Amino acid sequence: MTFTETISSLLPISGPIADFIGGAVASLLIISFLMSLVAVSGIWGKRKITAAFTDRIAVNRHGPFGLLIIVADAVRLLSKELIVPDGVDRPAWDLGPLVMTSSALLGFAVIPMGDLFGLNLQIADPQAGLAYVFATASIASVGLVMAGYSSNNKYSMLGGLRAVAQNLAYEIPLVVTGVSVVLFAGSLQLSEIVAAQGETLVSLGGVAIPSWYAFVNPFAFILFMIANLAEVGRNPFDVPEAPTEIVAGWQTEYSSVYFVLCYLSEFIHIFLGGAIIATIFLGGPAGPFLPGFVWMVIKILGVYLFTQWCRSAIPRVRIDQLIEIGWKGLLELSFANLVLTAVIVGLL
Amino acid sequence: MSLEEPSTPELDTGETLEGVDYDALESLLGEYAIGRESHVNAEAFVVRPDEVQAALELLRDEAGFDHCSCVTAQEYEDRYESIYHLRKYDDPTQEVGVVVPTTKDDPVSESANEVYRTADWHEREAYDLVGIEYDDHPDLRRILLPETWQGHPLSLDYDQEQPQVVEFAEHANPLREDHAADAQSDTMFLNIGPHHPATHGVLHLKTTLDGETVADVESDIGYLHRCEEQICQNGTYRHQIMPYPDRWDYISAGILNEWAYARAAEDMADIDVPEYAQVIRTMSAEMCRIASHMLAVATFALDIYGDFTAIFMYAMRDREVMQNLLEDLTGQRLMFNYLRLGGVAWDLPEPREEFFEQTRDFLDELPGKLEEFHDMITSNEIFQLRCVNTGVLDPETAKSYGATGPVARGSGVDYDIRRDDPYGYYDELDWDVVTEDGCDNYSRVLVRMREVEESAKIIEQCVDLLEEWPEDERNIQSNVPRTLKPDADTEIYRSVEGAKGELGIYMRADGTDKPARFKIRSPCFSNLQTLPEMSQGEYIPDLIASLGSLDIVLGEVDR
Repeated sequence: MTFTETISSLLPISGPIADFIGGAVASLLIISFLMSLVAVSGIWGKRKITAAFTDRIAVNRHGPFGLLIIVADAVRLLSKELIVPDGVDRPAWDLGPLVMTSSALLGFAVIPMGDLFGLNLQIADPQAGLAYVFATASIASVGLVMAGYSSNNKYSMLGGLRAVAQNLAYEIPLVVTGVSVVLFAGSLQLSEIVAAQGETLVSLGGVAIPSWYAFVNPFAFILFMIANLAEVGRNPFDVPEAPTEIVAGWQTEYSSVYFVLCYLSEFIHIFLGGAIIATIFLGGPAGPFLPGFVWMVIKILGVYLFTQWCRSAIPRVRIDQLIEIGWKGLLELSFANLVLTAVIVGLL
Repeated sequence: MSLEEPSTPELDTGETLEGVDYDALESLLGEYAIGRESHVNAEAFVVRPDEVQAALELLRDEAGFDHCSCVTAQEYEDRYESIYHLRKYDDPTQEVGVVVPTTKDDPVSESANEVYRTADWHEREAYDLVGIEYDDHPDLRRILLPETWQGHPLSLDYDQEQPQVVEFAEHANPLREDHAADAQSDTMFLNIGPHHPATHGVLHLKTTLDGETVADVESDIGYLHRCEEQICQNGTYRHQIMPYPDRWDYISAGILNEWAYARAAEDMADIDVPEYAQVIRTMSAEMCRIASHMLAVATFALDIYGDFTAIFMYAMRDREVMQNLLEDLTGQRLMFNYLRLGGVAWDLPEPREEFFEQTRDFLDELPGKLEEFHDMITSNEIFQLRCVNTGVLDPETAKSYGATGPVARGSGVDYDIRRDDPYGYYDELDWDVVTEDGCDNYSRVLVRMREVEESAKIIEQCVDLLEEWPEDERNIQSNVPRTLKPDADTEIYRSVEGAKGELGIYMRADGTDKPARFKIRSPCFSNLQTLPEMSQGEYIPDLIASLGSLDIVLGEVDR
């Protein structure tokens, strides 16, 4: 039973209206959770993580461990003046950040977030779940183009163009690598993919190693991690923003609330990337002792930590090198991986 | 016939084994030389304003003066004068000046741009500040001051009080034309700076892009012009000038800059410096060099990595140690004001043992830290992908633009004033000049990192010397008259190896206690001129990387 069905079954009514209310409430709860996750890990955690990597201390004066910086930052960002530059293409400029944020949030509709107090926190579980996630995540590219093009700023323009080139080059390897997992699981339904990883792969000295696809096919896992870094635009692939080159890329002209939306969309995209990786490679919410939901969040934050690590330690590649790595390297490797997987699955 | 036959080195015209034979040069120049002057550093020949190119070409091709170090312009009561200070990259002690007088009514002189590419900016500055015009100059515009400025501030009849009224309309949108051109052409005009994360200060790059490729780039400087030359002309030699050099290259290279002034003034007024003070100067100058190079590596990594990353903070952390040592020594962290004419301000801090111990601790830890840098930067494959073979500056172009310091040495030009024209205590110590032949961004970074090791070697030897120095011979200051008044018409051009290259000072005395002309030859100014050569045809990120690898400090470019 999905989260939506659980909630609508609690309602005194039934039918489409109950389904709708159930879906709305479920989405609201999941989105609220994601927002607080961004607030903690994006505003406070990011500072602390980067500081740890770069030998600094970071916030420690606002409340315990500097946690109240979240409040200060929220007030600061929301109370700033929204500067609308001359000559922006108004509806597109306004919609860009919204499209980016909502596309990332839409992806979470099908992610199996695991159990908490006996509740299954997956909002919906369609048959084509994986295809749906990739599709919604890709809508963000449209938002990037809108933001880059409508800002009436050459840096934004360059950033937007770079973002498109990058997403084109990396989305295909990402999806193709994802398909190789589908071959193993035999289903696009995310709950099926998670269930398929529940079996024991080998048992080492009494410890059962589950057949997570990261263990079954580590090559695909690495490919996916790299392509995902490019997808979320973090070092070494942060060329669409590339501070020091094109100032802030497509988000140069955004301030105040719109900037918050851009920022939010970036983090939710990273979390969505982490959620996809956790679902199709790391056994989803599976894990010992703790509730599944907690494991899921730990896995998402693990991927987040990895992106922050890369950001602190790896140089950025140049735009032409980025495209080259995407089209000449990752694409070939991901197709090779797909064909090999197909052969192996076929033979077994 | 033996293969081991000692070959006599091939000498250029006018070059002898001892130095320069100016009589031979005079006969080489023949009728071009219409007079001869004697400057403290070298002889100078007077050349007619319409024969500048021919004379300079002779000196470059026949006599081997391949380095136009500086162009000084000044106004006298009866004439204008441009002085080209020429040197050799092989041996900078071989110098010659070319003095070009022009009349008051028609201050037009032939441009040297055809012979030395570096003359381009130097002559623009001369036009901007003094008012001499150069025939044949490709682009004679103001360089430091705004286009709309009235008058030439270093000319004699310049009215300081004159209001510089510029109508707002003139500055409303100086780039509107460029925007209009975008619609018709395939290229895009992009302003990088004056405020941009990677311009290391207020530098404005007018960039023309073809897609992501840089079709053309032009530096617009002067945003940080603080009239340093004029300030120094209004200060007395003895005390009032020394604080200002700290403000040229303000990235903790203060003592190196101070030394440029100290060296020029001491040679001009014939002041001795006690040996003990020279050792302290050498040590503190190399500490500044380490701090400066650390920052250069850090900011370069910032440009390549793209964010405040680990490597940036690691370099800042290690620079901090150096900064603390310099603070102990001079009392200041940035604007040291530590050197004095004839010595230094004060002796090493007490207790001396503690200072030595802290310095030695730093030197002991340095190899490990540099190893860490090499792990994180130079051996990183993505870093190499970005830096190797980008921003290529071949040695001949570098020489023509008067590039010096790590920029020249990264292009394989073996040129270091510390070794070639020794001052201080450098010739007594055991160290090497670092060069790399890659000519690219990578080589320039590597040169800086290896130079840190060499500086550490120098500091270590200085510490050894200072530790052993007998207590009764610790003389930090020689006798210098309270008021320094060098003889009228004494002229000198002297340079030291600053953090970014050859930092030279030209001074002319007029018999008072203040210099009549004070000209700063900034290494960054010349180095920055090479940027278009490096980045044309490359991508924007390479342009940013090249700019970072030049390690400019706008305070020194604009002065």
